[in-house]
Amino acid sequence: MKKISDFINLYKPFTKAGIQSAMAYRTSFLCFALGQSIYCFVMYFIWKAVFMSSGESTFMEFTMADMTVYVFLSNLVGFLTNSDSTDNLADEIHDGSIIMRMIKPVNVDYSILTFEVGNKVMIITCIFLPVMIGVEIYRYAVLGYVAFSIVNFLIFVVSVVLSYLLSFYLNLIFGYLAFFLLNIWGFSILKGSIISFFSGALIPLAFFPGIVRTIFEQLPFASIIYVPTMIYMGKYSALELVFVLSKQLFWLVVFVVISRMIWGWAQKRLAVQGG
Amino acid sequence: MIYVDGVTKEFKKVVKDSGLKGSVKSLFNRKYNIVKAVNDISFHVPKGEILGFIGANGAGKSTTIKMLTGILTPTEGRIEINGQIPFKNRKKYVKEIGVVFGQRTQLWWDLPLVETFSVLKQVYQVEDKAFNERMAFLNEVLELNDFIKSPVRTLSLGQRMRADLAASMIHNPKVLFLDEPTIGLDVAVKNNIRKAITEINEQEKTTIILTTHDLNDIESLCKRIVMIDKGKLVYDGSLTEMKTQFGKYREVNMSLFSNEDFDKLNFVSEFKVNDEDIKINRSKEKITVTFNSEKISISNMLSYILKNVQVKDISVNDVNIEEIICRMYGKEVSD
Amino acid sequence: MRFLRLYKTFIIQHIKKLMEYRIDFLTGAMSFFINQVTNIVFIGIIFSQIPNLDGYLFYEIIFIYGFSLVPKGIDHLLTDNLWKVAWFIVRKGDFDKYLTRPISPLVHCIIESIQFDALGELLTGIILIVIASVKLSIKFTFVNVVLMIIAMIFGAVIFTAIKIIGAAIAFWIKQSGSILQIFYGISDFARYPATIYNSVIRNVVTYIIPFAFTAYYPASYILRGNNPLFCIGGVIVAAMVLLGISLIVWHKGLNAYESAGS
Repeated sequence: MKKISDFINLYKPFTKAGIQSAMAYRTSFLCFALGQSIYCFVMYFIWKAVFMSSGESTFMEFTMADMTVYVFLSNLVGFLTNSDSTDNLADEIHDGSIIMRMIKPVNVDYSILTFEVGNKVMIITCIFLPVMIGVEIYRYAVLGYVAFSIVNFLIFVVSVVLSYLLSFYLNLIFGYLAFFLLNIWGFSILKGSIISFFSGALIPLAFFPGIVRTIFEQLPFASIIYVPTMIYMGKYSALELVFVLSKQLFWLVVFVVISRMIWGWAQKRLAVQGG
Repeated sequence: MIYVDGVTKEFKKVVKDSGLKGSVKSLFNRKYNIVKAVNDISFHVPKGEILGFIGANGAGKSTTIKMLTGILTPTEGRIEINGQIPFKNRKKYVKEIGVVFGQRTQLWWDLPLVETFSVLKQVYQVEDKAFNERMAFLNEVLELNDFIKSPVRTLSLGQRMRADLAASMIHNPKVLFLDEPTIGLDVAVKNNIRKAITEINEQEKTTIILTTHDLNDIESLCKRIVMIDKGKLVYDGSLTEMKTQFGKYREVNMSLFSNEDFDKLNFVSEFKVNDEDIKINRSKEKITVTFNSEKISISNMLSYILKNVQVKDISVNDVNIEEIICRMYGKEVSD
Repeated sequence: MRFLRLYKTFIIQHIKKLMEYRIDFLTGAMSFFINQVTNIVFIGIIFSQIPNLDGYLFYEIIFIYGFSLVPKGIDHLLTDNLWKVAWFIVRKGDFDKYLTRPISPLVHCIIESIQFDALGELLTGIILIVIASVKLSIKFTFVNVVLMIIAMIFGAVIFTAIKIIGAAIAFWIKQSGSILQIFYGISDFARYPATIYNSVIRNVVTYIIPFAFTAYYPASYILRGNNPLFCIGGVIVAAMVLLGISLIVWHKGLNAYESAGS
């Protein structure tokens, strides 16, 4: 218990700073959210046209209501699990301010993580809750009954936390590349495209043909957006739930180990070359 | 050459209450304060002069420089440089001036220095022959050859500043604005830059306006200074005159075994002088007494102190120009 | 003439910079390419289940999609520096530099940077148009081709004009990147037939922020022979009106900047 309270005391200032910085950048942050919702509406109308054109009530086992929920929710999960650590870390490495983190008695990845958690507090209150309520109202209006399930929601919360940590460590690994490359702008963009494709942000992975779908579902990217979204929608059986959650946990451990290795390696390099 | 006549610049500042409530309130009901950043200043600079433009942070220096370079428009008054009004027909005007902002660079960050020059050559439409002569001259004065092929991001601060100076002079400007050209440099590099500025001024008869916080820059470069404070012009004249006017002040710095001892001293009654001839500044470690050396001789001052208090350490210094500026503001502006 | 010479100098500098950051360029271009592939896979999956989307065949949608990439790519290639104005050039005070140069600040900002990553977009766009045209056996006449090129160029002007407006807002509020991002996000609507949207969105992307003219309308003229006066003429009118507005906003912004500074 003491360990936990020590941890909280040590990193509380970072989270507080994270909340404050999110407050300071609230305009650009809300604009970004608005931009994302425009994108959701584009997708919504495309799917609407698809259902109109097909004349059927389901499309690959998704109803229009499912599809709408998927479009908005997957974006929301993307928002929640997104991490800016690649760019922030790369900037710090290039301008040398990473040293300021290293001379403090804190763990580098925890200090970045707890700062970002502060940001997430803002996202949850200003974006997640309103959109989620909107989605539930929509579901109620279309289906005529309350589809929200508290059990699903709690499992969803666990899954989102796992996928955020997973995404955080993946981004951290890309950020550490800055130790070895002059500029990682290109890689950062590339990483974004890869994640958005393989994570199911654009197309539910269930829509891919047989073998491709199976492969995509095993990749770590699926754990970032697709899995939590499908959990929220109640698309998994109990057995499947155990399986997808342990897959998330597995990938998280893998990324933590890799990032620790690179960090150790980079520190040695820093010590030898002086940054 | 440069005429500044009754120039005023006002800014609107939004008045905002603190906190979230304040931000929300200011969204709907904005209140403005009019701030006079520059308040009715006039001066004149003849061709070939180096003018030192000084003042504390926020005194209105950079606002003035920005008006002179045509970046900002004055609210009132008239600026004429080379027979042109800076912000009118700016494209034509800026061909005849060069600007260095010491805090930021105009060089092409990712490419070798020489590339910046060739781009600027095009931008300012400098002929090949003139360009080559110019580069030869700048090379000689600023010793660019050592690093002209290196990417700008790899240059040291001193090299970068030399390069920035050169970049501002590719087109042989008649007027050069140097906004803190020695900021952040070490003493040796500062000397180099000063030497280069002197040489450029002597050889090309370039008129130079220089702002700086380093008063050594002023001493070694400028015969004349213009000083502003809180937007107002408070001094325009030669540096020597200013020094003789205010150079009569000296300061005694001392540290005592017991600071209470100091209360025993009363300079005003001892030397029968006015309050303004004595200024005392006390801190835990150090006590500074600034005094008018024409009214109180240094030896009298020292013996009075040494006789009455137990001194750990004591020294007598010239008052630096920074101090003079403060004194001047206190006397002539605020009152 | 002088402008072109100057532009050439800047392009050469940029190619040199590119060589300095080869990996960045390659990965950047690749990621734009992957983005396009993703979207095409998306369209492919939809069409694996339905014969047409709101009456449009697969290759017609591909044609419209490819068409949308070209004006966007041209604009992205040539005027990307305006993003930097919106995000930080004004905020950090670096805009002063442009005001001390004997070139129009807008022109200077624009020609200072060339974003070669955009070649990924442009190339994908052209390839998609060619494939779709072959599959649909579109008959290209001289007039068609000329009108299409004109539409693409003016379509790019629409993008640029919106970017100028978005960047100019920074003169008042210091940082307008996020606002510009919203403007830009609306261009996503242009990739698909405007008829699939409800009337509010359709009117917005036709008459207010006319992104529908950057792809759907001109493409529908080529595909279906829809009214060229509206479909092609509309692009030109929209582009010119928007460009005019953007220049006014830019100059007003510049005046505000000159009187307020940063």
